[in-house]
Amino acid sequence: MIKYLIIQVDDTSVSYCHYPALTGKPRLISLDDLRAGILWAMKENVTVQFVYPSYRLPDEYHRVIESIDHADIVPAGCEDTGLLDKADVIVLDGMSRIASHTFRSNAAYVLRTSKEDLLTGRDAVAYLLDRVMRLNVVITDVETFTDDDTERYGKLLGSLAEAVAEQYAAGRNVQFNLLTDRLMLDRMNNCNAGWETIALAPDGRFYPCPAFYGDADKGYNIGDLHLGPDIKNPQLYRLDHAPICRRCDAWQCRRCTWLNCRLTLEVNTPGHQQCIMTHVERNASRRLLPLFPGTEIPEIGYLDPFDIAKN
Amino acid sequence: MEIKETDNGWQEGMAKSITFIVTKDCQLACKYCYLVGKNEKERMSWETAKAAIDYILDREHDEMFDTESVIFDFIGGEPFLEIELIDRICDYLKVQMFSRNHHWFNSYRFSFSTNGINYDSEPVQRFIGKNIGHLSIGITIDGTRRKHDLNRVWKHSNGEAERGSYDDVVRNIPLWLNQFPGSSTKVTISSADIPYICESVLHLYSLGIHEVNINCVFENVWNEGDDIAFEQQLMQLADTIIDGDLYRDYACSFFSEHIGKPLDPVNDNQNWCGAGRMLSIDSAGNFYPCTRFAQYSLRSKKAWMIGNIHDGIDKNRLRPFLTLDRLTQSPRECIDCEVASGCAWCQGENYDAADTPTIYQRATAICKMHKARVRANNYYWNKLYRKLELEGNREEYEKNKPARKPETC
Repeated sequence: MIKYLIIQVDDTSVSYCHYPALTGKPRLISLDDLRAGILWAMKENVTVQFVYPSYRLPDEYHRVIESIDHADIVPAGCEDTGLLDKADVIVLDGMSRIASHTFRSNAAYVLRTSKEDLLTGRDAVAYLLDRVMRLNVVITDVETFTDDDTERYGKLLGSLAEAVAEQYAAGRNVQFNLLTDRLMLDRMNNCNAGWETIALAPDGRFYPCPAFYGDADKGYNIGDLHLGPDIKNPQLYRLDHAPICRRCDAWQCRRCTWLNCRLTLEVNTPGHQQCIMTHVERNASRRLLPLFPGTEIPEIGYLDPFDIAKN
Repeated sequence: MEIKETDNGWQEGMAKSITFIVTKDCQLACKYCYLVGKNEKERMSWETAKAAIDYILDREHDEMFDTESVIFDFIGGEPFLEIELIDRICDYLKVQMFSRNHHWFNSYRFSFSTNGINYDSEPVQRFIGKNIGHLSIGITIDGTRRKHDLNRVWKHSNGEAERGSYDDVVRNIPLWLNQFPGSSTKVTISSADIPYICESVLHLYSLGIHEVNINCVFENVWNEGDDIAFEQQLMQLADTIIDGDLYRDYACSFFSEHIGKPLDPVNDNQNWCGAGRMLSIDSAGNFYPCTRFAQYSLRSKKAWMIGNIHDGIDKNRLRPFLTLDRLTQSPRECIDCEVASGCAWCQGENYDAADTPTIYQRATAICKMHKARVRANNYYWNKLYRKLELEGNREEYEKNKPARKPETC
């Protein structure tokens, strides 16, 4: 059942996840499509999130957006400082954005970074953990993760676990997707694009999430505003139709269907890299178990649940 | 008291199947052929074949290639059009497996499915003589002349009259059976073939072929009433086989004691198709999980490539195949089906017919034909059991009947 609608207001809206933002000229969603999308969300009783570009939107767009309760996802470099001040989620596109940004302690932040920058950027991440209430780190080149990176990633997260523990000791219960999410969950809590979330793109069409809009030529659109969403094979977006994931307990995993399609060609099957990384995170989270009394994360002997599922 | 059973094939389930698509050309233009992209241009070069062999043999201990045995399958189009290349490939394989002390050297087969037209040619016969101990060759003959020639026709240009290939194949059957006694043939049934099923199976028996493996095409070609006509043909065949005591020496895969039962959601949840456990290589050196995922096999989807001879196999692209189970790909009507066992599917056709580019949507075009088969099959076994009972042979049959073998694609 669809619960969330993400409206990407412009072709150049910031990416807040694994996919690259579109480059090229800005193209705003039409005001008619924006109104129609909001109306659809109201009638379907779904929560709306708007994803913004760096430039300031015309005032009439803001007037339409304010007609519905919503959340704003805004790039850290947004020219519209008023929007930035009230954003629910602020996206730092790369480590280089950190130094120049004035952080708000009541906002959630997304840090998009390459694998290598993250593996060598322990101090930058610890700096963020000291300043934000929630940090989501998103790796933008998951496909480059090799088995040789496993140990380095484990060491990084082990070190960051110490930074999180220091925050907790100081009375700041910071949320960090790579380490604390697993401890706070009791079941899978994934992105669920195409199942609980869909996106409306500037072309007036629905997609499982904004990432698929970038691959629009591959036929991923799932309907338009006139006829509403029409998701073919909707069961494949659900957890119970994902043979690897439904057995898995790396509950913090995004289970990114777009990455799945890129790596394995199926929306319901994660690639090896995604599984390994989330299991390194799961295992590193165990270091923080003393901070979460009553929580258990059992020790397991595999990093890729595919090894279990294939048998 | 024995009843002939169909043979599951050499090292069934134990062997890695590696398919060389040596050509996309064929002398015939069979009307039911699923190969929509056949052409005369795409022929495998020796360099591509050698690179593929080196890639595979270099990875003896990789889990992809560590099976006890191997079947090197040669497919087209018509594979024997490329007999010189095949001969060179097989020689190279043998020399390489021997010199590397590869564990497959003790357990390999070369397998062919041919239209049989140039079976008696000198190069093909020389190849057979050289490799006879390691060969499986199936010749496809669809039955009587009128049944065979209905679909299996020569390629022809505009203006040329359509010409069937029955005479060109049947003349090679005695030689084939002499070289490979006990061989079986594969018959494909499409809508137009239904009236000729009974006569065709009996005709193949009369040619000396004791095992006839038949399947209905998986594509959505079936018309109103086909299931009833199909059921009638199978019942007619059942009567003839049982009344004539043919069941002792002849087998037809349509009749099996194990089909037509509900399937347990836990214990019978395995995927039926072997796609992903096999490897198929085309003339460009691209790898596929099965030949059915190469572009020339697909009507409406993009090829599902899993790598190539230069970059190797992308194992991520095999993960959907290796974790696929029956329930996850089946609609509710299949999961709850009271006669589900024996209902097969082709992963490639599922992919090709799916609403999205997925292998997780099972095509159900064959449903009514399977149900008709089950009804006729029930009739066959009820009639046969009663006959054995009346002859005092039932108890002995039950005691001696072979254990159930798992069915695989």
